[in-house]
Amino acid sequence: MAAGLGRFVEVGRKIVCVGRNYSEHAAELGNKLPTEPVIFIKPTSSYITEGNAIKFPPGCSNLHHEVELGVVIGKEGSNISETSAMQHIGGYTLALDMTARDIQDNMKKKSLPWTLAKGFDTSCPVGSFIPIEKIPDPQNVGIWLKVNDAMRQNGHTKDMIFKVPFLISFISQYMRLDVGDLILTGTPAGVGPVTAGDVITCGLSDIATMSFKVSSD
Amino acid sequence: MASRIVNFVKEGRKIIGVAMNYRDLAKATGASIPKKPLVFLKATSAYIEEGTPIQTPPECKELFQEVELGVIIGKTGSKIPKASVMDYIGGYTLALDMTAMDFLREARQTGGSWELYKGFDTACPVGKFIPKAKIPDPHNVGLWSKVNGELKQNGNSKDLIFDVPTIISHVSNYMTVEEGDLILTGSPAGICQVNPGDKITCGFSDIAEMTFHVADK
Repeated sequence: MAAGLGRFVEVGRKIVCVGRNYSEHAAELGNKLPTEPVIFIKPTSSYITEGNAIKFPPGCSNLHHEVELGVVIGKEGSNISETSAMQHIGGYTLALDMTARDIQDNMKKKSLPWTLAKGFDTSCPVGSFIPIEKIPDPQNVGIWLKVNDAMRQNGHTKDMIFKVPFLISFISQYMRLDVGDLILTGTPAGVGPVTAGDVITCGLSDIATMSFKVSSD
Repeated sequence: MASRIVNFVKEGRKIIGVAMNYRDLAKATGASIPKKPLVFLKATSAYIEEGTPIQTPPECKELFQEVELGVIIGKTGSKIPKASVMDYIGGYTLALDMTAMDFLREARQTGGSWELYKGFDTACPVGKFIPKAKIPDPHNVGLWSKVNGELKQNGNSKDLIFDVPTIISHVSNYMTVEEGDLILTGSPAGICQVNPGDKITCGFSDIAEMTFHVADK
């Protein structure tokens, strides 16, 4: 394992996110199915680990949860082929792509960049580093999320439109992937708002779980 | 001085861009003046320094060059009041905000993400670190760019729609800015397409100058 991979939160230099990668999720937001992956970036300043609370960014009244399988890059590369993509994976993590949905919708309507709606502080809660041995097939993992113990998202990574090797290959045609970079691979249907005081619990099958509170500040 | 400020290219963890931030550019393109800074991100893997050529990203037919004043953050902070921003600046740099303009135009129309079209590899050519003292007033810096010797941009940062304290204060209300972060503050009128084989020279008055070549296909 490349040195420092377990500390990807501290050493990683980018978080690359994939939007609309589960067909039912695309439909629930009224979006067309993409012909190629929708790619955006979250800054590393958005990382939080368990024990820290998720906070509403300024001007947001509609903060959505999105549970995702995160892929941690273990070997750098550009123009990576699909067939060698799996060799570039150093490990995995559980992640939440917290989204200020109202800010995002408003910016999209005005043809403006919606970066702040996805990149605010605390918008990327992550769990512990998961070694690759624990997830031999990233397309065969259950992914679920509860808010205050009520199930909201309950999907499976076999339903990804663009699979992990394709995503790694596609992204790396545009942006070099470095050791410690994180790729968030999309979220299944069931995204919805949280309010201050809520507790989000989520997991990957029985491999990993994590819990975050939404701050009442 | 902390190394992360001077070594921002290798160690910085984010690059923030601000769109449509010069009055003359808004006038030239007929764009409306934004009400708030329009923030996007460039991946840190986009950095290149002199000597490395700029690459046209896959399928892009309209690669644009845009000269910008880059502000390097010297001290970590969030929710920074405008009056304190200058204390958080660690230095400056000359930068080009290379853009896949054809794809960006389409993304704006469909509400898509900007980041692939702003953050592809080699999309952030930068110059040397410029100490704070060399630019006592960042709101009175001449910015110019030439393509193959022909003057394309010739502006001054006094023409900024949102000044440096406004930009940094606004960004820091959403995202903590960290030592070594780079903030690109926008580009004046005259942004233009460049083609494989072109030579871009740009500078700040007589304070700094740099040259980059666009790689042949």
